[in-house]
Amino acid sequence: MSTDTPSDTDGIFGLGYRAEEKLFSRLKQISAAIFVVVGVFPIYWMLQASLTTRERASSSGISWFPTPETFTLENYEVLTNPDVALYVINSIVVTLGTIILVVLISLIAGYGLARFNMPQKENFARFLLLGYLFSPIVLGVPLYLIWQNLGLLNTRLGLIIALTAISMPFAVWLMWKYIQTIPEAMEESAWVAGASRWQGFRDIIIPQTQPAIIAAALFAFALAWNDFTFAQILLPANEASTFAPGVFRLIQRGYDIARVDVMAVSMAMTLPPLIFAYFMQSYLLKGFQIRSL
Amino acid sequence: MAGETLEPTQTDEPTIPWHRLPVSKETLIGYASVLPVLILYFIIAIGPVAYAVNASLHEVFLLNPQWEWAGLQNYYEVFELETFWGSLWRGIIYMVGSTLIQLGVGLWLALALNKIARGQKFLTAVVFTAYLIPTIVLAFAAGYMFTPNIGLGVLQSLGSDIGLWAGNTAPMTFSQTWAMPLLILVGTWKFGVFITIFALAQLRAIPDRFYEAAQICGANRLQMFRDITLPRIQGVILVAVLLRSIFMFNKFDIIWVLTQGGPGSATTTLPILAYETAFTGGNYGLANALAVVMFLFLGIGAVAYFILFNPSEEVETST
Repeated sequence: MSTDTPSDTDGIFGLGYRAEEKLFSRLKQISAAIFVVVGVFPIYWMLQASLTTRERASSSGISWFPTPETFTLENYEVLTNPDVALYVINSIVVTLGTIILVVLISLIAGYGLARFNMPQKENFARFLLLGYLFSPIVLGVPLYLIWQNLGLLNTRLGLIIALTAISMPFAVWLMWKYIQTIPEAMEESAWVAGASRWQGFRDIIIPQTQPAIIAAALFAFALAWNDFTFAQILLPANEASTFAPGVFRLIQRGYDIARVDVMAVSMAMTLPPLIFAYFMQSYLLKGFQIRSL
Repeated sequence: MAGETLEPTQTDEPTIPWHRLPVSKETLIGYASVLPVLILYFIIAIGPVAYAVNASLHEVFLLNPQWEWAGLQNYYEVFELETFWGSLWRGIIYMVGSTLIQLGVGLWLALALNKIARGQKFLTAVVFTAYLIPTIVLAFAAGYMFTPNIGLGVLQSLGSDIGLWAGNTAPMTFSQTWAMPLLILVGTWKFGVFITIFALAQLRAIPDRFYEAAQICGANRLQMFRDITLPRIQGVILVAVLLRSIFMFNKFDIIWVLTQGGPGSATTTLPILAYETAFTGGNYGLANALAVVMFLFLGIGAVAYFILFNPSEEVETST
């Protein structure tokens, strides 16, 4: 086997080198086809359902795509329904607030953990990760009473604080590990040139941590945009509700919201993730280069 | 550089006698930087957990504000509860099944995505969208796809065409056999990508010259995978599997929205049972005892996992 050039017999399954190459490119094509079909199909289904008339969607016989007779844009009028519009706006506010808080706090904490000598900091980070052992249900139910006492129940700020705290362990861990990879010598040379620690942080660490910042922001986005459980428990009032529990409640109450309407508003909520996934993927990958706990 | 000072100016704050404090200024700033995290953590995790432990030791009913000391009574009740052992078992099936399938799908995705040259950006975007899409949106879409006799019920119809279930059953909400497997599959569509993101980030960091060198030495793809790829992603896989297992064991939203634990109790896992005990049954004390037991089981599991696999061991990363 220790020949210097690939011979014709040492490929996988006893195949020749050429045959192996061919088999692999075939497998790659098949995999890609499966990913596209399985990955795109649910999104396609939402899209086409949101463009189909209510009557066609609820009658039997699969409607694979809207025909000229069954095509309609009317379903998107659900977005102008005052309740639904409010839910979407609340979701946007909560998500933005969570992203800003998460990035600020985790950046500072990550810098502190990476650059200052503190006893027990490894254990501190692991202690934070312990938080993930608690089910959102376990935390959310007592939080209801605590938030009630603090006057944070039914406020967007209350949900922002809760979601920020939930994103925190992972975001801090990500920042910490990422800042560790930036050579300390760069800051030291700035200090030698007269920069303060703050200036060094602002001008050297922040620009270089950009991938991790974007990754933490995306992570916070995924968490806040996704959240159902906390919003359900902490925002029981209708006018404070975000998208997920709001629309779920509309469906449960048997309010006049048709399946196609639900698909239209779902499609609207899917757009930002689609855009981020396309344009931000390299940052997401860079930020996630974590190897160990 | 002649005009610039060569020393950091530390004399701005002459009022604080740093040299006389028992800790250094460095350490203090360090602690100050993690203080917001600590405060948040105490409000959101330690506080509620202490509250839950306290409530689990009392007889608490939601409509009655009076708490009555009960000692360990609630815990005895939990272990005598028939539904507890059933839910624990279903929860373990859901957790292990989901994690294994997600691991398989996630790794396959990562390995293939890493090698596909054409359309890679589009494919990666599709895959990442799955992770970023709100769970509830997925649950709505999946729910409709498995509804019989409507124009949107495409998967229900395909399944009945190949004879998996009858033409008018809703497999997700009315079939004892299918509810759990379908729930696991729907979850995999979204959460398998979590493993892909972790693994792909590592794979992209492996320099091509490793493979080129191996190829020159006559290694085949299996050998390259075993000796170059696998050691580099092993650590991150162990981490991702641990996190996924924990998340799936605690999963509430997707199960609640899709099946609410039904049909019967076919998809009632521990979080669903705890939620129902608290809000349908109104037995808040017992629900909290359940939550604490869940946490203990997970804690024991996580410690065992650490001892067995040691995911904190840093993999050789020099490039």
